[in-house]
Amino acid sequence: MTDTVTPPPLLQMEGIEKSYGGVRALRDGRLIIQQPGTVHGLIGENGSGKSTILGILSGQIRPDGGALLVEGRPVSFSSPVDALRTGIAMVSQETALAPLLSVTENILLGRRLVRGRTGIDWRRSHQRAKLVLDRLGLTYDPRAPIGSLRPDQRQMVEIARALSLDSRVLILDEPTSSLSEDEVASIFQVIRNLSSAGVSTILVTHRLSELFEICDEITVLRDGRTVASGAAASFNPESLVSAMVGDTAAQKRVKRERIAIPAAARDSAPVLTALNVSSEPDLHNVELSLRPGEIVGLAGLVGAGRSDLLEAIFGARPRTGDVLIENVTLAPGRPSAAIRRGIGYVPPDRKTQGVVLGMSVVDNAMMVASSDRFRLRPPGTRRDVQAVSAIGSSISIRTHDLGVAVSTLSGGNQQKVALSKWLIDPPRVLLLDEPTRGVDVAAKAEIHQILVDLADRGVALLVSSSENDELLNICDRIVVMLRGRVVATVARVDADEAKLSRLSGGHLDD
Amino acid sequence: MTTEHFSQPSIWARTWKGSRPFRPVFVVLVVVFVVLAIAQPVFASAQNLQNLLTSISVLWIVAMGMTLVLITAGADLSVAPIGALAGILLAKLLQAGIPAWLAIIISLVGGAALGGLVNGTLIGRFNVSFFVVTLGTLTAFTGIVNLWSNTESIPVNEPVILNLAVTRFLGLSGPVWIMIIIFVVTLFIQQRTFFGRDVYAVGGSISAARLSGIRVPRTIILVYAFSGLCAAIAGIVAISRIGVASPQVDANLPLQAIAAVLLGGTALSGGTGGVVGTAFGVLFIGVLSNGLSIAGVPSFWQQIVTGVILVVAVLADRIGLRRRTKSTTETSGTQPPESITAPEELAAKTSH
Repeated sequence: MTDTVTPPPLLQMEGIEKSYGGVRALRDGRLIIQQPGTVHGLIGENGSGKSTILGILSGQIRPDGGALLVEGRPVSFSSPVDALRTGIAMVSQETALAPLLSVTENILLGRRLVRGRTGIDWRRSHQRAKLVLDRLGLTYDPRAPIGSLRPDQRQMVEIARALSLDSRVLILDEPTSSLSEDEVASIFQVIRNLSSAGVSTILVTHRLSELFEICDEITVLRDGRTVASGAAASFNPESLVSAMVGDTAAQKRVKRERIAIPAAARDSAPVLTALNVSSEPDLHNVELSLRPGEIVGLAGLVGAGRSDLLEAIFGARPRTGDVLIENVTLAPGRPSAAIRRGIGYVPPDRKTQGVVLGMSVVDNAMMVASSDRFRLRPPGTRRDVQAVSAIGSSISIRTHDLGVAVSTLSGGNQQKVALSKWLIDPPRVLLLDEPTRGVDVAAKAEIHQILVDLADRGVALLVSSSENDELLNICDRIVVMLRGRVVATVARVDADEAKLSRLSGGHLDD
Repeated sequence: MTTEHFSQPSIWARTWKGSRPFRPVFVVLVVVFVVLAIAQPVFASAQNLQNLLTSISVLWIVAMGMTLVLITAGADLSVAPIGALAGILLAKLLQAGIPAWLAIIISLVGGAALGGLVNGTLIGRFNVSFFVVTLGTLTAFTGIVNLWSNTESIPVNEPVILNLAVTRFLGLSGPVWIMIIIFVVTLFIQQRTFFGRDVYAVGGSISAARLSGIRVPRTIILVYAFSGLCAAIAGIVAISRIGVASPQVDANLPLQAIAAVLLGGTALSGGTGGVVGTAFGVLFIGVLSNGLSIAGVPSFWQQIVTGVILVVAVLADRIGLRRRTKSTTETSGTQPPESITAPEELAAKTSH
């Protein structure tokens, strides 16, 4: 037997566990990078544990269990600084740069500007930044302010910053989600340059085509477990999607609450029609229509334009193009006008947009219904309180007292309060953005029931969600968006999670 | 299904809960009051207390309007020159022979218009920072006051206005009655109108308010108009007390009013607080300055104590808040970065 000892893998995570409260985010996370210079793709549905495992790897989250080894040596990070010292750097989804500072200052942010005898030596600092940029094959002026760069260029400056810390493993969390195709190509060129310089990259993306284009290895997470990993060549799009969403039996376990579209919804004229709706630069020429009693889902990746579409219709962001309510045009840019015409909107961030945390349940619930009343009338009259308490008990808002501040309620109950303001006096069209984000399982089911009940009463619902199973659960029809455009519309009977995943990722061939 | 499973707590329980923000200043006020009353018997005399109330009337009236402004997460630094402008306008109108009642109404409308149309429109409609706008109008209006009055006081001989300060009803002077009326009106707006709810909603979360159909610009304009109205009333009360419309702009007035509002538990970040707390804040400032001057302590001490109490009160509230939020986050656990599909959820799906 020869004495060849295979060197330990550059990076090895085994059996990683992490729970939040009672929720297990990770139960068996495994991620192995054998050699320096590898480009490793990480893929999984929302909630599969990607962010958690990367958070653990970059020192932001402490694991409950499992092993993390770098070149065979066990390590444990108690902060991102520890991870950086070991050579692991994370480039986050949202760029965290100071827009008015120069490229140099951002790359060498903090203590690493070169110091001369009279304060900062700017000439040498710029040279040092230039050196880092050169390694990436970038030709930006180190003196330029970050704000003057394109989004992809800013992303590269973030990569440069990570690189200037002598990183050996670079984590890129969806670097391409908001970029155009040319910009994606330039990021990939940088990743290839790094790879040949021996720097490994872990790339998170939802776009299957990107994985096959650039990755050497792929790891698939599902429900907090690593369910597949191996060379990219050993996968194909079908096998990846089925690894992500689980076996075919899993697709059948979706609970179908709505058996059939009500007849009224099939036959009547649309209550809302969007014609050529655009809101540059995020939304382009969207057309869709909603009939009374219909629940339409909006599927797509984060950044695909789902939220922008809802905001544009409701008037919370400027738009061009027409929105018709029963064939009458709706003025753009004014939520109060939209509300008077019978449109409601449940925003994605309940704590800052959905409710006023410091105000009582009654005051929050009455906010919409009373928005048109004479302002010197008294609030919280007996009748209002009765109306709120009727709605509150019908959707089971759990509090002993409707006068308490909403901030004291749990997430699910806060979301029900955000919904309740549209139930006192139901609109004709209700737009919902991530209606069950961050709520517990029981509240989620209750909220779905509320939405189905609303549709049964003839309200048209447009529901945006990043969870495809949620859309399959309650929607009659699902509109898929990609990069600010509608790319497909599928009836629920023809849709399953795999199909939605493929369409969202840009595989439109089927 | 019964609709009555939500309990309605008693008015006392609600009042006790609502008093939380101004409990510290209330306690300090009572302690200071008792100590002064024991140490300086003159302090607690009816005569002195009446003087005390009259002396705080201008600050009180301005602070009422300021409270609503602070609840919207703003502040109005321009109240002093608005009050002075309203006073000069009143004096000039009276000189021109306009009847007193009409001159008063025009001055009040003028004050409200300066607050609403200038401050309110720039802040609410054009989203300019309240600090920039009201600092700008503070400076510009002060200039107008000096230019218009030639920096000379204008005597006012109108008996209606002069009698205001000297007439007593139930032992209280006219300015004190005016401050009581303003307090009741502001409290009513704050508690018993939808407009009052709008003010809290705008300060609590401007985007939640907008997305719920509340007309945010209009609310902000009206709040600054109300602050301007209060400033004009304070300006006229000041004339009644000294008999002239003075071009002296008290640059300390807005800051003192803001201090009183903050002492009363309204937060600079908006969305909480109210005029009851402000009333205690103003009383505290008044009692301290009156009591210390009776005791022969230099008035600078009053400034030092007010400053220290202000910071300590806000600090105590901040520490208490941190403790409360800590205990709630500990019970609910840290939120995961992504929404997690829990095992129970999968089980629930399969079982259906």
